[in-house]
Amino acid sequence: MLTFVIRRMIATVFVVFTITVLVFLIFFHTPGVDPARKLAGRNPSPETIKAIKHQYGLDRPLPVQYVILMKKLFITRDLTSYSNQGQKVVPEIVAATPVTLSLVLGAAVIWVVVSIIMGVAAAVLRGTIFDPMLMVLALIGISMPVFWLGEMANLITQDRYHDTFLFSWVPPLGYTPLTQDPVMWFKHLVIPWLVLSVLYIGLYARVLRADLLETENEDYVRTARAKGLSERRVLLRHTLRTSMISFVSLFGLDFGVLVGGGALLVEVVFGLPGVGLLTYQSLISLDLPVIMATVIYGAIFIVIANAVVDVGYAWLDPRVRPA
Amino acid sequence: MSTVGGLEHPIDPLADAPPEGWVAGRSPWALAGHKLVRNRMAMAALAVFLGIVVVSFMGPFYADHIAHTDPFTSQLTATTVINGKRVDVLQQGGGVLKLGETPIGPTWQRNYFLGADSQGRDVAARVLYGGRTSLTIGIGSAVICSLLAVIVGMVAGFYGGVTDSIISRGLDVVWAFPVYLLAISIATVLLTQGLTIGPFSISASSLWLPTLIIAVIYVPYVARPVRGAVLSVREKEFIEAAIAQGASNRRLIFNEILPNVITVLIVLLPLMIATTILTESALSYLSIGVQPPNASWGTIINDGQQLLYTRPWVAIAPGIMIVLTVLSLNVFGDGVRDALDPRAKLRVKD
Amino acid sequence: MQHARRRGLMAGACLVLLVGVLAGCGGSSSSSSGGSSGSGSTTGHMGGTMVLAWNGIGSSIDPAVDYDQNWTLLNMIYDGLVTWKKVGGSDGNTLVPDLAQQIPQATDGGKTYVFHLRPGIMYSDGTPVKASDFLRAIEREFMVPGPVGSFYQGIVGGDACAKTSKSCDLSKGIVADDAAGTVTFHLTAPDPDFLQKLALPFAYAVPSNTPAKEVGPSNPLPATGPYMIDHYTPNQEILLVRNPKFHEWSKDAQPQGYPDKIDIRLSLTSEAEVTMVEHGQADWMYDQPPSDRLNEIATQYTNQVHLNPVPQVYHMALNTRVAPFDNVKVRQAVNYATDRAAIIKAWGGPQVATPTCQILPPDFPGYAAYCPYTTSPGDGKWHGPDMAKAAQLVAASGTKGQKVAVICTPDEASKAVCLYFVSLLKQLGYDSSIKVLSAAVEYPYVQDSSNKAQISFSYWYPDYPSGADWFDVVVGCNGFHPNSSASANLSEFCDPTIQKMTEKAIQTSVTDQAAANQMWSQVDKATTDQAPWVSLFLPKHIDFVSARVGNYIFDPNVLVGGILIDQAWVK
Repeated sequence: MLTFVIRRMIATVFVVFTITVLVFLIFFHTPGVDPARKLAGRNPSPETIKAIKHQYGLDRPLPVQYVILMKKLFITRDLTSYSNQGQKVVPEIVAATPVTLSLVLGAAVIWVVVSIIMGVAAAVLRGTIFDPMLMVLALIGISMPVFWLGEMANLITQDRYHDTFLFSWVPPLGYTPLTQDPVMWFKHLVIPWLVLSVLYIGLYARVLRADLLETENEDYVRTARAKGLSERRVLLRHTLRTSMISFVSLFGLDFGVLVGGGALLVEVVFGLPGVGLLTYQSLISLDLPVIMATVIYGAIFIVIANAVVDVGYAWLDPRVRPA
Repeated sequence: MSTVGGLEHPIDPLADAPPEGWVAGRSPWALAGHKLVRNRMAMAALAVFLGIVVVSFMGPFYADHIAHTDPFTSQLTATTVINGKRVDVLQQGGGVLKLGETPIGPTWQRNYFLGADSQGRDVAARVLYGGRTSLTIGIGSAVICSLLAVIVGMVAGFYGGVTDSIISRGLDVVWAFPVYLLAISIATVLLTQGLTIGPFSISASSLWLPTLIIAVIYVPYVARPVRGAVLSVREKEFIEAAIAQGASNRRLIFNEILPNVITVLIVLLPLMIATTILTESALSYLSIGVQPPNASWGTIINDGQQLLYTRPWVAIAPGIMIVLTVLSLNVFGDGVRDALDPRAKLRVKD
Repeated sequence: MQHARRRGLMAGACLVLLVGVLAGCGGSSSSSSGGSSGSGSTTGHMGGTMVLAWNGIGSSIDPAVDYDQNWTLLNMIYDGLVTWKKVGGSDGNTLVPDLAQQIPQATDGGKTYVFHLRPGIMYSDGTPVKASDFLRAIEREFMVPGPVGSFYQGIVGGDACAKTSKSCDLSKGIVADDAAGTVTFHLTAPDPDFLQKLALPFAYAVPSNTPAKEVGPSNPLPATGPYMIDHYTPNQEILLVRNPKFHEWSKDAQPQGYPDKIDIRLSLTSEAEVTMVEHGQADWMYDQPPSDRLNEIATQYTNQVHLNPVPQVYHMALNTRVAPFDNVKVRQAVNYATDRAAIIKAWGGPQVATPTCQILPPDFPGYAAYCPYTTSPGDGKWHGPDMAKAAQLVAASGTKGQKVAVICTPDEASKAVCLYFVSLLKQLGYDSSIKVLSAAVEYPYVQDSSNKAQISFSYWYPDYPSGADWFDVVVGCNGFHPNSSASANLSEFCDPTIQKMTEKAIQTSVTDQAAANQMWSQVDKATTDQAPWVSLFLPKHIDFVSARVGNYIFDPNVLVGGILIDQAWVK
């Protein structure tokens, strides 16, 4: 077990390192993109550009630049943005993280609760029309592009029905920190939570239902029934618990992706200044240090989540451990 | 999208081969096909999907002969006839200040059925053309992705050992890169200058760029199950027996492994197409997917964002098309999976 | 100057009706907001917190670096030797002394300026403003490095500073006598625009021990103006509070502000900003309202919408050194064929933009209405496209069928204009296509002559009101640097005859501004005839304010280019 953990950790580090190199090569070596020109701002003289190139070490060979960037990012933590000069990158990400966490945690609570209810209901009500109905609902949830759903939500809550009692409480797009005004924080996030969770409710309800139905046929469940346990007990104590293993591991992976910046479409549509939006803005403006930092931040989250899930799964289910 | 340890479990529609002397029944493929056809919902979904495909590819016909419009040229000063009256397609704002120019809304007639966009173009015609692009990219990238994944997965699964390790680590890296970030990064970079590898060059506005980008980023999602399928067959006892009997690699691949792999692909394909269509629309919405002058459902939603408060149909219509297409693919995909893999061992999250 | 804000910034003249302090000229359909007229009883309006909705990322708050994004804030916080009057109307472009006592006359053949500092002015941290602070400011412009070192290269020692940014010693060119309180500038050659350049934030006073590194949001420079930065949380908020050390020394240059606090919310989408202002959650929005909300705010919030013209010229830059636009006939043909009314429709309609055919904007020094590229030319106004003439010229040029790529950025308005030109060029017989480049890449790309960009959508608005900023920069030989991504002259236009006329005008303006203005109109005509641009339109700047905002004043100069924020009433 321990060797497995250690091996996973080493693989993790390796993967993160490779990602940083990839990102660096993609952006620092792009034809047509000159970081010095970008730093120099509007209408600089050619001499200014040269001066900046030298000042930022952009005239050094690529491997040296990579090392300098990594050092500034991790060790001295004074890496500054190209678009917003003087602005340190790491504090920027730190400031954006609570926004993403608020969004993802809230949505996660909603989707976990609702999908469990839906999945269990569908499994229990198998054979009635409720089962396919719920599953079609789930499928619809999966089939909607999340950014479009967000736009539709905006259309309804910000514009068409904004003046009715239903949605007059919806504030303009944006974000208020929890510490500043909890009520406003909540109001800003309710619609984004719902929009983000729709996709995952669909996914998880289906997975849970399929898992439940599969474990129904397992021997130990039949044993439990034979022992005379009520259906509900069988469901809640036995099948649900087993199915939750895969549910939880899926959740771990998705949560990692979302916190790592995967919620960027929702953040863009609702104007939430989280890590996803920061990543997107930096990519569009080719702000290389911020791109590097946000992508690494995201990759680390995902890779760690992957590793945790793998290890956890291996711990829970010894059959899966490699020989 | 992610998978669980469950995917490493073998899928094996060929297991439990009938014992000697049994009367040969239908082949597993025919059985699966029959089951699929009897699945009403799946067939209905397939019909919807094919319907959307047909309608989208009739875009040019609609534009030329029904709407009489060119959905790709600017029509800022165009006029059209509604209910006998000739009106401007872009109409000046009202009140004292007369600010802004608002495109006409849906006429529900042959011309400007869904109204005009901010450049006076016929939205309905564009949605159809957009469908062509979205479907082409969606299906194309799913197919290319599958091809690449088959190669990668089979090489990894078949040769095992170091090759497998390297390939798996490579897949890990691509997988760890958040899908959208990877796509956005590559797209941002390539859309400036296009892509030139040796003698091949793809211009920045070619549809090949988004197709290839999307195909590449989803390779791990397909390669893993393929690899799993290969591994599961390799470990079966009858393979060991076959090898002991001197069966060549080629026979193994074609007779045993490939059918297994193909089953995986068939189950995955509708779901992959659904995923690629969603991904393309997201990238186009962010302006780093399909580039003008081409239009796709995602770019039209992006156009519609600017008109959301005045002419919401520009954003609503392409979204509905995406939902219908993806939904029908998902339902059909479910049907295929039920038909081919009744024990639902292969459960890939969409 | 280029690519700062989305749409429009400054005005050469005003057409807005004002209430309160100063009169404008002419009237317009925009109304003024409430508030009493006359200068009495304005003390009741002191106080309150003004909330501004600002654009996405925010830019530098270092005056040496920020190129116009934050100027409207910086000029409430810092001061320079001279500035433009903070009033409405065309008077807003008049230079007045700020930290200096008066505006000196140039001596020594126009090469020397001596400023006497006002005594007793302090920074917000209590240190006094000294003469050597100005030396430091300009040296920093070279060392940080800032974007417009070239503006100050005419100072003795400036050339050496431009070459190396490691160190910059301008002590010979800027002689600062702290004891006497004088700052003397020595130029290598007379520069009639030098005083204007000193009014820009790049030359704002900074304490002489300020390091030669850009200051970040967590440690802004100490303030001299009525407001100081309380805190700046990137992507979220900038809060300005009153500077306790400020006392009003010149109402024209730096008046006391009315709001007690100015709260700037960042990272908002323009749609959100409109909604915030409509509901009174913000008092003013920095971005121009998106076109799909224009009708809404114009009809439902008419009294809160203010329109003012700005001297910003949107145009298609035609590369005069790359086929087919290296042929003047083709350039003129496109000018004749362009339906400026259609483009204005794409922009938001005739109330939001006015067409133009020439280089200089109206009411600019040296402007004389001139439009040859229209049906029935002669009255200087654009009437309509002349397709027949255009087709004639294209045929005569023999360039039909050539490939043309029209370059623009992904935002809707830019794409709309480019798509129009793709269609137009197709109509004229060219094989045209659109090339959309992301905003971060587009501007450097089209400046670099090695990319051979043929036609791109662009705009220009002047840094200061002088013809030189047009004809010596954006369409002049000095603005063209081959194979560099810093070459503002996108058309790569350099005509020796016109260049001579430009130099003569610059020379003449040292002594006789009126005669120089005459020359500028000649240069304008000559350049327009050569058609390095397809001049399209001048946008109107739209200020959308909340219902409670009073005393709206539109200040046309480049530092403000919109509402005078701290002169507005929120109480």
